[in-house]
Amino acid sequence: MIISILFVIFVGLAWGITVGAGYVAFLTVFGIIPRLTQLTKTFSKIYAYEWAAVLGAVLGTIAFLQEPTFSLPAFLLILIGLADGIYVGMIAAALTEVLDVFPLLAKRIGIDDRLLILMMALVFGKIFGSLFHWIYFIP
Amino acid sequence: MAETIYIRMRHRIQKKSDERIFLQDLAQIIATDELLSSLKNVCLYHITEQDKNIIIIDSTRLIREIKKRYKDLEIQLIGPAQTIIEVVFEKKKVALPFFILVWLLLFIGSGLTIMNFHEDVSMQTVHQRIYTMITGKEIEKPLIFQIPYSIGLGLGMVIFFNHVFKKRLNEEPSPLEVEVFNYQQSLDQYMIMHENKESIKKVDDH
Repeated sequence: MIISILFVIFVGLAWGITVGAGYVAFLTVFGIIPRLTQLTKTFSKIYAYEWAAVLGAVLGTIAFLQEPTFSLPAFLLILIGLADGIYVGMIAAALTEVLDVFPLLAKRIGIDDRLLILMMALVFGKIFGSLFHWIYFIP
Repeated sequence: MAETIYIRMRHRIQKKSDERIFLQDLAQIIATDELLSSLKNVCLYHITEQDKNIIIIDSTRLIREIKKRYKDLEIQLIGPAQTIIEVVFEKKKVALPFFILVWLLLFIGSGLTIMNFHEDVSMQTVHQRIYTMITGKEIEKPLIFQIPYSIGLGLGMVIFFNHVFKKRLNEEPSPLEVEVFNYQQSLDQYMIMHENKESIKKVDDH
């Protein structure tokens, strides 16, 4: 009995470590945190940002395993939703950059000067695609 | 004692077809005034119809041409060892319909991929659960969460690319610009190695 409990604990721990390491690797490849420190010029706070990511991941896991409910006003969801969106948006942007889509496209069809307008196509596509999905697509 | 001149070849220049390339186009030169004025107009190449859109002039060729005219000049080369000449045929302009097509392609593609992503990670369920977690109520469509989320999505991309339309958030180049620069750099490097006839020697070259 004790052995099986210990084994389950070990498996859970191993699982968590792998997923956690994978998540950090994922963040590192996309370089979201360095990008944000560069924009806000707060290189000295980088460890605080790391802890923010780690704590967020741990609290998110706890929240989704325990499912606590708070009777808080609904407008808080606007802030959380916005933060969630910005985060996913940054990852989406980083992904297109990692995949080198734009430099190739711009070079091939010779539109180096109108790169910005093309980038806006991606941004608006994401916004409208997402709104369409939530408002109309889901029955 | 021989006079010394210093030459620094430019990295990349643009020239129209059917133009002649002079030394002053290819390189920056430091020399005495009288020498400079005659050196400037040494013609090194004439772009013809047969040329492709990239020509590479190696520094050895440049030095050879100068040596032909001024035998006992000492030439010091600083900087790049070759210049890439980009031959610009008539100003290539992308047709507007074509551009709109690409724009729509990206717009629709981007929108559909985000929908796929949402379905893939069951985001609707996650949003419903977050709604319940915060307010304690069940809801079918937590739009109060989802609409800010959608706007944030665009905002996040803009923040990452450091551009709000024409206005920048700060003066640093955006990752996209750096990426385009890196790509151009790699292309130049490739062309320097592969198109420059002076730097490759194959077995069957005689």
